Amino acid sequence: MISSSPRRRFTVARQAVGQSALLWGFLAASMVYLLVFIGLPVVYNLVMSFQDVTLGNISELWRPLIGLDNYREALGDSTFRKVAINSIVFVGVNVIAQVGFGLAAALYFAQRFPLAAFLRGLVLASWILPALVVGALWKWIFATEYGVANYVLLAIGLIDRPIYWLSDPAFALSSVTIANIWFGTPFAMILIAAGLTSIAEEQYEAASLDGAGPIARFRYVTLPALWPTLLAVSCLVTIYTMRAFDLIFAMTQGGPLDSSNVLPLFSYQLSFLRFHFGLGAAVGSTTFVIVLAVALVYVRTLRIEAEA
Amino acid sequence: MNGIVRHLLGRRGTALICCAFGVAGMICFLFPVYWMFISGLKTSAEIFASPPSFVPEHPTLAAYRIVFESENVARYMRNSLTIAIPVTVVTLVLGSSGAYALSRLRSRLIDLALVVILVLQVFPDVLLATPMFVIFRYLDLLNTFTSVILATSAKSVAFALVILRPMYRQVPMEIEEASRVDGCTPLQTFRRIVLPLMRVPLVVVGALTFVQAWGQFAYPLTLLSQQELQPATVGIYGFIGGEFADWDRVMAFASVFAAPVLILFLVLQRKIVAGLTTGALK
Repeated sequence: MISSSPRRRFTVARQAVGQSALLWGFLAASMVYLLVFIGLPVVYNLVMSFQDVTLGNISELWRPLIGLDNYREALGDSTFRKVAINSIVFVGVNVIAQVGFGLAAALYFAQRFPLAAFLRGLVLASWILPALVVGALWKWIFATEYGVANYVLLAIGLIDRPIYWLSDPAFALSSVTIANIWFGTPFAMILIAAGLTSIAEEQYEAASLDGAGPIARFRYVTLPALWPTLLAVSCLVTIYTMRAFDLIFAMTQGGPLDSSNVLPLFSYQLSFLRFHFGLGAAVGSTTFVIVLAVALVYVRTLRIEAEA
Repeated sequence: MNGIVRHLLGRRGTALICCAFGVAGMICFLFPVYWMFISGLKTSAEIFASPPSFVPEHPTLAAYRIVFESENVARYMRNSLTIAIPVTVVTLVLGSSGAYALSRLRSRLIDLALVVILVLQVFPDVLLATPMFVIFRYLDLLNTFTSVILATSAKSVAFALVILRPMYRQVPMEIEEASRVDGCTPLQTFRRIVLPLMRVPLVVVGALTFVQAWGQFAYPLTLLSQQELQPATVGIYGFIGGEFADWDRVMAFASVFAAPVLILFLVLQRKIVAGLTTGALK
């Protein structure tokens, strides 16, 4: 081998040490950054949730602990219950719709026809837009008097008088849900499409030879092979939907009467509009627990998928 | 049924019908984006016309002129850029080096680091805004770009690590070993041999990071109360906060703000799609 001379061998050995020192240094730099700017705030948020944090004592870092008072006050509030239910509905409908439409679109564009790949890529144009722009845009589309949504629905006769999309408590949550489905589905679709391409063509051919029609092929070949991907995508959509603050804030600010309010937005309102930072932190920590649980499921599905 | 249709039309006919439905579906899906751009081109009379016009009758840049002259759009855009560029740089430096380490080191600690990164990625930024506000206030960094840049970079560094790690596997180890045998130090090998091979993934991650930082809203909203420092997202929000809004002007502002993102997307579309699909699920 080349490293026969003692001097050369020494150089190579020294480089191996240098290499691993460099790699650990690289890793340490990004991990320290993440732990300081995400880990620390998460922990400090937990600390704040056990303190009475107001504008009076906000400039101090340490304040007397008040136990579970913030949680008792925030979770006992009827608004919290309403907002928590909204969040579950908002996230649930979004996951089902985004994964469902995403799967349908991915299957459609997996067929062989001209422009299929180009059109599939173009869908991401809605996902790439800043969430606040999407919120502003849909607020204009859903405007009661001059909005294009009411115009089109009236023109084709689906409704006979304008819907108050954003100012009627019965519709506000549905409106922000529709906007968020439009915003998020392309991402789900692209990930599902990637999962589809990894299914071997031979499996379909074998199923066809066994006399399986399109529905049977979907049921017995596509779905089982795609299952881990669908689970992982569902987790990702849940995580992203829990973040949907900008879009709702732009469209309704959670109103009217908290009908479209969700937990992250509620936490923001408690902290920055009512200046009850302790309450905001308590609602925040409660939400963290939920997101964390989903994240752990996601990590597990990635493992399963990696092993499969 | 499918068989009969295929028999009647032949393979090529079916493909063309699929294509037609695909194009039609895409036009419907992307209609809101079109609506945003043409709403900004309408006159303030036409914007509130009933029925609405689907092609502007007298396209005008009046709304654009008004927002640039009286709504400080140029300043908002400059602030957005002042935030997005450093965030992209920080993310690329930490993300490219950290992901390289994650892909090359063999240790149980790496598995732990990966789980930590995935988990840290999921906390909604608006929830982190409450503790960040108190911490940055204590450090006297409120109303500085530094606070927003540091906060925004954290999430994109986590994202970059997740996306880039599997892509380093495509760089063959033999090339690195050859470079080392030639006497390059590990840092030189990384900078001169490995990074140039990673150009495309780095461009994709850089573009996605820029887009995300450009659209960042929660941190500037909470950490920057001085209007002169606020980026365009906060500016647009201020514009639509009320019950009534001049939608031609709002959409002109939104179009100006969204245009760089859409252009970046159209240029890099193929690479972004490929990058997302290898990174997010591996």
